[in-house]
Amino acid sequence: MAEEIKAHITGVVFQIAAKTGDAIAVGDPVIVLESMKMEIPVEAPRAGTVTEIRVEEGQTVQEGETVAVIE
Amino acid sequence: MGMKELADDLSSRRSRARAMGGGGAVTRQHEAGKLTVRERLDELFDAGTFTEIGILATHAGIAPDLAGRETPADGMVTGFGKVDGRLVCVIAYDFTVMAGSMGRTAELKANRAREIALTKRIPMIWLIDSAGARIQEAIGSRNFAATGTLFREESIMSGVVPQVAAMMGPGAAGTAYIPALADFVPMVRGTSNMALGGPPLVKAVVGEDITAEELGGSKVHCEISGCADLEVADDRECIQVIKEYLSYFPSSNLARPPVVSTSDPVDRQDPELLTIVPDSPRRAYDVRKVVRAVVDDRHFFEIKPAWAKNIVVGLARLAGHPVGIVASQPMVLGGALDNDAADKAARFIMLCDAFHLPLVFFQDVPGFMVGSKVERAGIIRHGAKMLYAVSEATVPKLTVILRKAYGAGYYVMCGRAYEPDLIVAWPTAEISVMGPEGGTNIVFRREIAAAADPSAERARRVEEFRKLIDPYIAAGAALVDDVIDPRETRPVLIRGLEMAQGKKIDRPWRKHGVMPV
Repeated sequence: MAEEIKAHITGVVFQIAAKTGDAIAVGDPVIVLESMKMEIPVEAPRAGTVTEIRVEEGQTVQEGETVAVIE
Repeated sequence: MGMKELADDLSSRRSRARAMGGGGAVTRQHEAGKLTVRERLDELFDAGTFTEIGILATHAGIAPDLAGRETPADGMVTGFGKVDGRLVCVIAYDFTVMAGSMGRTAELKANRAREIALTKRIPMIWLIDSAGARIQEAIGSRNFAATGTLFREESIMSGVVPQVAAMMGPGAAGTAYIPALADFVPMVRGTSNMALGGPPLVKAVVGEDITAEELGGSKVHCEISGCADLEVADDRECIQVIKEYLSYFPSSNLARPPVVSTSDPVDRQDPELLTIVPDSPRRAYDVRKVVRAVVDDRHFFEIKPAWAKNIVVGLARLAGHPVGIVASQPMVLGGALDNDAADKAARFIMLCDAFHLPLVFFQDVPGFMVGSKVERAGIIRHGAKMLYAVSEATVPKLTVILRKAYGAGYYVMCGRAYEPDLIVAWPTAEISVMGPEGGTNIVFRREIAAAADPSAERARRVEEFRKLIDPYIAAGAALVDDVIDPRETRPVLIRGLEMAQGKKIDRPWRKHGVMPV
């Protein structure tokens, strides 16, 4: 079942930590946002395979925006 | 009638009251996804321990349109019983009887229940599912002038006995001040709401078209306003969290928090603690992982988890002893404190202090937020609440500096000057008036500007600055009690708690301080 991973804060995408097709575990960072001079990981809420990364480095994302999808 | 007939008559009166608002109203209650008030109480109390008072009550007979009708138990079930073996008092509104509206008789019943809770020092629980005051009985100056007792008494009971107000339906108008003055407020998603003025009044007064859910549903109060503590899925989960909340508290401030046995070893050293905090000081992590790795059975009962998320507060146990946890959350705003975070932490600290729950602080705080937005919203005033609360607290206080301990953030998170009974630092700790980058820019502004290569000079100065904020310097001056291996955190905290159990601090006499609210 697909699950959207949403940003829990507003920030700029600092790093894409996983790529499409990667198998990831609970708590693994999928992307890293930069906000308040901090690098803040957006973590996988459960284990799965990354099917989609919806953001690019340098892009601003809003709190609640989907940044990736895992299956 | 003979005694047998009288007894039968009594029995049928009670049966009528237990039928609440009747079949149709009970069906509608269930269809709304709610349990009835009596089903809720069955869930709450240990089997067979509930003693109801006021079951024979009915309306006060002053509203002409109620003539000839009964309002079973006057729309409110009150009494006392045991929750996990300990007495609690309850005031539970019955929405099936006139929408749970508060009538004059019900008010007398509630007064009686509060009197029991206060004079016998047992926790007070409200289950709120009420349209508010029963206007038919409250209208007119004669009827209204004497009312309002409940909020005064609830204020006086605050800190004497635990007070829980569960939102299990509407809580309109004045009823919304019951949760406002209570210690713990769970809200059921989808069925509960609270607002000082409901949608019709809002429409009439300010012209806003809004639903009760949008105005004061669980999402509004658990995520935006901070007026509620925990969003729960349904009535059963709501009752469950009330029980869990109470399990951490003594029955009153005259008793100590209940200690439970645990199979979690006091000397457990969780290797995960070596990897949670990232090597880079710029990298965030979820501080709740640290909390769970340290507390008994990794179990943490978080309060207000969805509001002011830059600080984490909640209840847990160490070696079976309840403690309050206050932890910076680097995942949100880098753990910087703002108005709501200070407010959330201050209130939680006062709650724990009132009921003798020791406080454990986990610091990774870059300081308070700055800028015109927070200044205009009064961050000085809100930040002061946290300073005030942590200064006032005389319960055992233990501080672990995980990483950043910057500026006033270090103070409000129980730095050395705020009477921690034990203050320890992880080797990653940085104790400083401000961070290396910001500090360097201010202190060495001229040198950096004058350098041939300003950015190289800045980098060099930042490195020098960083060396000065090393925790071994503070430990070398005996200003932190120790630098610890992260894995030692649990055993160190448990020993600190044991040491601090007999803590006794006397304050100068005063009527009360002037809380910077």
